[in-house]
Amino acid sequence: MARANELPTQDIQAGATALDEDIPRILRIMEASSLEDLGWSRPNKLSLLVPMAGIHQGNEDHYLLRLGFQAYRKWPPSAQFVNPETKGYVYPNDQRFVPKLTSPECYTHIAYRPTPQATPVQLVCCSTTLEFYEVLHHVKPEHLWRETDTFLTTIMAIRKALTSFYGGRFSDNGQ
Amino acid sequence: MGGSLTEASGECTVAENSELDSKEPLATAVHDLEAAEARLAHARAEEAAAGRDIELAVEEIKDAERDRDTVEVHVTHVNEVEKASFREKLASTLQKVWDISYIELKIPHEPKDVFQTAGEHPKSLMNHLGLTLDEARQQKVIENFCFGIASETGGA
Repeated sequence: MARANELPTQDIQAGATALDEDIPRILRIMEASSLEDLGWSRPNKLSLLVPMAGIHQGNEDHYLLRLGFQAYRKWPPSAQFVNPETKGYVYPNDQRFVPKLTSPECYTHIAYRPTPQATPVQLVCCSTTLEFYEVLHHVKPEHLWRETDTFLTTIMAIRKALTSFYGGRFSDNGQ
Repeated sequence: MGGSLTEASGECTVAENSELDSKEPLATAVHDLEAAEARLAHARAEEAAAGRDIELAVEEIKDAERDRDTVEVHVTHVNEVEKASFREKLASTLQKVWDISYIELKIPHEPKDVFQTAGEHPKSLMNHLGLTLDEARQQKVIENFCFGIASETGGA
């Protein structure tokens, strides 16, 4: 189980193995025979790309979520909304590829600084993402990531925020 | 002696005829009774068969009503990666569906669990637990009968 006020440690081999194990379980429950059936892809052993969508003022906006499994399963997957062309995120150029989520359970920051001196990072502020623990965010014991959780927990938490707490796309000026 | 006289007088035939005459109505009555008993047995068999047919028809009606008044519910437990399906009455509340889901999934109800819709756009149903499945569908709180259970997360 993840612990509050503890920096996550990476274990690439364990992460890749855990992802190998979890993909079939999640495909089964989602009644899909492959990642492609779901529109997902696995560009390398430690990453998944998952399209997401939110509806704001009648318009459907599309996003691409990149999950990273470098510290999985002791810790949740990294979660970053990325530029669909580069599959990466560079602030401030790519901030328009991030949805504004304002759920008390899942909130997005395009440039979060845990300390004034720190390099800004995109933070999907949710106890089911790795970055949430990397910035040593306050977390209640009942919200801590458990090793029985899977990346499906992360995807569904973000999807839920996109359904009910979506405020449109971040604009180029960060608003 | 009398018999002889009777025979002699030719009255014997009359007596015999009289005896026969008295036997024929009895035979007829017995025959009629047997026939009536046979008809009664047949009627009873028919009644029993009709009773079975009625029971069968009542069961068919119940099955038809059950199919009309119930729906197939699908529930996914996100954290445990488990899924269950079961039939539930349209008149059942979302709270009841949520409660039964744990029994069907064989997973304990955790205090911070949330009942929500499933699919690409999950939304919490915690403010609608008193609605029946039918009401929730009519009020467009739900689009189908696919649900999810997920633990509350922390953030913001």
